[in-house]
Amino acid sequence: MKYFYKLFFVTLLLFIFSYQSFASEVNVYTSRHYDSDESIYEDFTNLTGIKVNIISGKGKALMERLRLEGKNSPADLFITSDAGNLWKIQKDGMFREILSEKIVKTVPDSARGPNNEWVGIAKRSRVIFYNPERVNDIEIMNITYEDLADPKWKGRLVVRSSGNIYNQSLVASLISSIGIERTEKWAKGIVKNFARKPQGNDRSQILAVANGEADIAIANTYYIGLMLSGEKGVDQKKAAEKVSMIFPGQADGGTHINISGAGILKNAPNPSNAEKFIEYLLTDKVQKHIVDNTYEYPIKSHIMPSKIIAKFGTNFKTDETYASDFGKYNSEAVRLMDRAGWR
Amino acid sequence: MFYNSLFESSLKILPIFLFLLFVAPVIIVLSSLFYGFSENWFHLYNYVLSEYIINSILLIIGVSFFVVLIGVLSSWLVTYYNFAGKSFFEWALILPLAVPPYILAYTFTEIFDTYGSANILLNNIFLFEDKKVFFPNVRNIYGAIAVFSFTLYPYVYLVSRMAFINQSISIIEAGRVLGLSGVGAFFKLSIPLIRPAIFAGLALVIMETLSDFGAVEHFAIATFTTGIFRTWFGMYDLNTAMQLASLLLIFVTVFLVIERISRRKASFVSSNSLYKKYDIIKLRGYKNFFAMLFCFTPIFMGFILPITELLNWTINYKLDFFNIDFLESSFNSLLLAIIAALLCTMISFLINFSTRFQGNKFLSSLSSTLMLGYAVPGLILAIGITQLLTFLDNYIEFFKFNFILTGSLIGLIIAYIIKSYALSNSTIEASFQRVSSSLDDVSKTLNISGFKLMYKIHFPLVKTGLLTSILLVGSEVIKELPATLILRPFNFETLAVSAYNYASEERMYEAAAPSIAIVIIGLIPIIILSRMIKGSRPGEAL
Repeated sequence: MKYFYKLFFVTLLLFIFSYQSFASEVNVYTSRHYDSDESIYEDFTNLTGIKVNIISGKGKALMERLRLEGKNSPADLFITSDAGNLWKIQKDGMFREILSEKIVKTVPDSARGPNNEWVGIAKRSRVIFYNPERVNDIEIMNITYEDLADPKWKGRLVVRSSGNIYNQSLVASLISSIGIERTEKWAKGIVKNFARKPQGNDRSQILAVANGEADIAIANTYYIGLMLSGEKGVDQKKAAEKVSMIFPGQADGGTHINISGAGILKNAPNPSNAEKFIEYLLTDKVQKHIVDNTYEYPIKSHIMPSKIIAKFGTNFKTDETYASDFGKYNSEAVRLMDRAGWR
Repeated sequence: MFYNSLFESSLKILPIFLFLLFVAPVIIVLSSLFYGFSENWFHLYNYVLSEYIINSILLIIGVSFFVVLIGVLSSWLVTYYNFAGKSFFEWALILPLAVPPYILAYTFTEIFDTYGSANILLNNIFLFEDKKVFFPNVRNIYGAIAVFSFTLYPYVYLVSRMAFINQSISIIEAGRVLGLSGVGAFFKLSIPLIRPAIFAGLALVIMETLSDFGAVEHFAIATFTTGIFRTWFGMYDLNTAMQLASLLLIFVTVFLVIERISRRKASFVSSNSLYKKYDIIKLRGYKNFFAMLFCFTPIFMGFILPITELLNWTINYKLDFFNIDFLESSFNSLLLAIIAALLCTMISFLINFSTRFQGNKFLSSLSSTLMLGYAVPGLILAIGITQLLTFLDNYIEFFKFNFILTGSLIGLIIAYIIKSYALSNSTIEASFQRVSSSLDDVSKTLNISGFKLMYKIHFPLVKTGLLTSILLVGSEVIKELPATLILRPFNFETLAVSAYNYASEERMYEAAAPSIAIVIIGLIPIIILSRMIKGSRPGEAL
């Protein structure tokens, strides 16, 4: 019995210490967890010999983990799919300036954080999907986000819950451009127009439009890409083909754009490896890989988005609201949606 | 006898040390109440807090009703009656324990949603031109009640079945002689006698329901845990989130105290000499059918249905099931489960032994305080532990040690032990209670005490309890989600984490492989457990 205990504790200690490694590596906290990203990491390791260590999770959960770990955090790089998160980390002074010329030159000004503390690696936009059999062209023409609060959409609109970061960023950007009061009135209108209690992800909103539960939905572009690709099964592909997509705000402020981006942490143990990794993410090859697998828009203008997504149009007007405002107004947006009854 | 006295004094210190380790994260969370209330708190209070409380209460009421109904009635049926499939139901009724609520929630939406497999199946069978929707929406509080009821009733089933088996049949027979019918004996004697067991099981169910995050998030129901997440991550306000968590803790504490008080009123003693093999009544005709249907329904809803759906996903989408990542996360889950289960069981065995041996009121009240760990949502535990470890790290750094606790497995293991101590303690406490105290007295007259008493006398007698505890904790650890999500080290995926990551993006088909693995690994302890239950009749060797 005693031997058993000894053996047990030795195994326990080995197990605990075995996860501390000291090779040439880069530690990445990421809220992107696509299987297709894994081959990117492998290629990077093959190319540079730098091992990529990943912790994946929801963006905000990772952010809080970074904050709690403080200066002991092993993280080098934080990658997230929302600019608000990047803004928050920067505001807390946890990022450092990215010095690599390669990176700064590649990423356009609008997709870089102040002081080059973070850079975009892909873009997505939040658009409107509708059922062309139940929504006529005149109704939908030149629609804006604000129009969605119009009583004519009563019982016809679906959107996911307000706990979702994409909705929080959209509302935050509205607060930034039209002010709190108008946004709150808008949110109350949206809630009145709900065809059902907010539920599911963006894809289930698109499905709800396809099967007639609702006429119109707010969702991100790449979800339709995923569905049309057939990766999610024949049923979803068929459903997606029934649905049309429109970029809102074309005659007005432009379509809401959000960014997947990366920043290097102030206390990063391997900052130069982290820069190399970002440089790698911005190469043409990896950019093409990202857009073809995740159906996002590329950060480099000369790369074409995936064909499935490109057919909806590539030359649309984008909302110029600073991505940093998403973060600034995020908690205001959450409270506003609470008040409006958007659950 | 130096060794023995060392052992005894360490027994005194151990619970206190553990107590400090256990309560530190909780104190950190509770301390938030003294940092003042921000405007976010008043926002919560004005707009959403009442909804969190109402939803949580509705969940508790609904789930309690159904788990007691299913758990008690089915255990009563399989203990005292014989009907078709009884020997199957006896062990199969605990199978749903292997399915965590969040996985049942994931499968329920995929089965019953408009485009779900159940609707598609029925449409294909009846060849409807227009697609029809047959099933009510499950993404609401009723769906959540169903999910929790069908996955958590085995806790009540397990304890009440053990209690029924150990119940003296002589009392029931006396009741029958005095003119009570079978049903009358059930309500007037059996149920009141096993009430403490039912409450103990129910307490576990309620704590599990309140601290769940995965299922309620998937159904988009506003409860305390989703509110904590929202406040922390949506409003960037950790302190208010911890205040919300403190409120939840207080809520649970009040409930537990009430439960304790109600138990203290009555003292339940079963006298060992009155056991007698009882006659099992054979059910026939419609009674036979309904007994069978009643036992089959929870197994079907809580186990067969989700498993079938998961298999359906894996088969239809031809996933490479046994890739390296998958094997690695299975290994991680398994290893964590084993370590946490052994440590936790050892700790509660020692604490229970020393409480009994030293007859110390203080220790026993410490032990019941430690039980509260179960009710701390994993999320909150994770916050507390990370802050504790960061503090310790700064301290270690001061002494120039090159080792960082933050983000190591230690935090995760502490979290698991805190969270599953209640499970382990309640089984071990129960088996200690069954050991007659006269045995201790006899041992003492024979000059057997301290370590020897523990090792030679108590250990063999409570062995079954220890094994049960290891199994229960193990299966709990494999299913644990929120704390693992926050505390796990680099490149360290467990099955629960990968299932959640996929499911949170509604990539259900990819979530199938880890989900099935969670269920299969969770099944191992359950099958052993069910064999043990089958073999354990009073009067027969355990």
